[in-house]
Amino acid sequence: MEQKKSFRLNIGPVHPATHGVFKIVVDIDGDTIKRAQTEIGFLHRAKEKIAEARYFSNYYPIVDKLDYVSAINMEVLYASLVEKAADIKIPPRAAYIRTIMCEIQRIMSHLIFMGSFGEDVGNITSLVWTLRERELLMNIIEKISGGRLAPMYMTNGGSFYDFPDGISEDITKAIDKIEERINHEYQSFFLKNELFLKRTKGVAIIDQEMVKRLGITGPGMRAAGIKRDLRKDEPYLCYDKVDFDVPVSKDGDAYARFMMRVDEILQSIKIIRQALKDLPAGDYRIKTPWMMKIPPKYTFVRQETPRGEMAMYMVTNGDTKPYRLKIRSATFFNIRALEEALVGEKVADAVVTIASLDPVMGEVDR
Amino acid sequence: MIFDYIDSLGLRFVSAPLAFLGAVVVTFIIALLLTAMIPVFVGWADRKFAARIQSRYGPVYVGPFGLLQNFADIVKLLGKRFVSTNVDWLSFNFVPIALASASFIMVLLIPWGGPSLSLISVPYDLLFIYIALAVSPLLVLLAGWGENNKYSMIGGFRGAAQIATYEIVIIISIISVALLSGSYNLSGIVSSQGSLWYIFYLPVVFVVFFLAGLATMEREPFDMPEASQELQAGWKVEYSGIKYGLFLISDYVRLVIVAMLIVMLFFGGWLGLSFLPGIAWFWIKTFIVMVFLMVPRWVFARPRIDQFIRFGWNWLLPIAILNLIVAGLVVI
Repeated sequence: MEQKKSFRLNIGPVHPATHGVFKIVVDIDGDTIKRAQTEIGFLHRAKEKIAEARYFSNYYPIVDKLDYVSAINMEVLYASLVEKAADIKIPPRAAYIRTIMCEIQRIMSHLIFMGSFGEDVGNITSLVWTLRERELLMNIIEKISGGRLAPMYMTNGGSFYDFPDGISEDITKAIDKIEERINHEYQSFFLKNELFLKRTKGVAIIDQEMVKRLGITGPGMRAAGIKRDLRKDEPYLCYDKVDFDVPVSKDGDAYARFMMRVDEILQSIKIIRQALKDLPAGDYRIKTPWMMKIPPKYTFVRQETPRGEMAMYMVTNGDTKPYRLKIRSATFFNIRALEEALVGEKVADAVVTIASLDPVMGEVDR
Repeated sequence: MIFDYIDSLGLRFVSAPLAFLGAVVVTFIIALLLTAMIPVFVGWADRKFAARIQSRYGPVYVGPFGLLQNFADIVKLLGKRFVSTNVDWLSFNFVPIALASASFIMVLLIPWGGPSLSLISVPYDLLFIYIALAVSPLLVLLAGWGENNKYSMIGGFRGAAQIATYEIVIIISIISVALLSGSYNLSGIVSSQGSLWYIFYLPVVFVVFFLAGLATMEREPFDMPEASQELQAGWKVEYSGIKYGLFLISDYVRLVIVAMLIVMLFFGGWLGLSFLPGIAWFWIKTFIVMVFLMVPRWVFARPRIDQFIRFGWNWLLPIAILNLIVAGLVVI
């Protein structure tokens, strides 16, 4: 009888550690992974095709569900794309509002990452704690836009509503609280916790060569030591008017990727503070026609979302609807690293590796 | 010796064999009730405590302060269907019953807060309790194999490896204590701590026993066999209904038993200042120890199984053996 040295384990598509419907087929020998293969496409909803059937102002609800953890970043990306194609220049207040909302959403997304990462390492309390902090910002988003997870706040030429009165005090209070929690409570929970360090340091190293070959962007790239952030390199909105740093690490392991997000939250808090201080008065929106026509052209916009560089490429043919829309998803490229990074790891570390890349499958499968 | 008391009570009214039979029935009913009540109330305390750590409320609706929530959960589990296909029938059904019986035996043997408050008295009750604790790696392996599922098999192997490692550490710590007191009887061990608790003689053994106890209980953070994130539920993955409920019961019973053992081996059991009765001291101490056993679940990450087993063999076991030698030299 032939003796089998390894056996095949299907992690997913419905598995708590895969952050959505995502499947990894691993061949394991004992507890060590010999080969890993990813399978995607379980959440395919034909978003790019739907865009061809919608007016430029009607695609926002769909784009919200693209990366449902950072919906506002997706909205801003699509709004920027349409505005660039239609040559609309948004008023400065709208740009500031978008910056603030983008950064709030970035903090929320990174808090979810911290929670789910801690939970995948084995600490359930972290998820409850980060959700508690996220709720502070969620209430602010709700106050501003009326929605929570899918706010549908942006529109062509600005945002749907202006900031309500007294919102800047609310935001300041919330980010102060989050900053304090990150600097104190979370320190003892994650960064000074020996078991947490033991599980994350040196696990799933993604080095610079791999980053360049696979097109990994975002915190995963910066954790490997490449200093690149579209907010800094190609400033859009009002990122050139605020002062912030781009955190970089050398290690490229799961712990470095975790730390990148923690540092980015602190930088986002810095950006929000400055933007709130400089928030100019004036129009928050330029009125644009509901059914506007965009002349035939190719438009490309890329922006830094919490998960990396997200880009949209649109072909218009002078109609009220796009001819073709292509979305470059950051996570799609990030999770390609799994097939290499998982080999040689233990099964328990596979979960940590997946969580450290922070995948959102809505964005990958589109 | 509650059994003996009931027996002598029965002898006043009926003949000897009948009194014996009656005593057996009554004792078993008491033990069953205790076994069933532990998960209800300890589980409630566990959930409330966790909720406070996580800034939640915890159970509030069933009973006063949600006290009967776990009772409702177990009743719910009783009514659930078993959904498992393609399992090895004998080993699959044997494991929950055997684990629950092991916890039942521990409940029967352990003194509940006084020298004469154990349900059945045996001279070497510490060893018997240890055996009931130590039977679980075999059962975990059996369950993991019998479920015919890859996740459960990995969980079963992990569970067996982990518990086997730490059970050795536990027995060596127990031997050190027994060596010092000259007795394998829990009442004897407690009464020999009259002058000074063993925590002051054997602080290192206490730490070792505490860690090993946490590991054998399979509570988070040392729940690698179940690891809900990576193995979903490990060796419990195919179980449902009251078969799963029996695991719940045995988990909480083991938590209480380990806490009681720690109190009796290291903190002088029911000995204490005279303004409170011994049983009150015992339960105050047990509850404090239980809280300390519960905290790690909510504040620590789960170590990897190979790191954890290496820690057990490389550190805890040598330290325990060294302490045993030192304790032996001191006794000599």
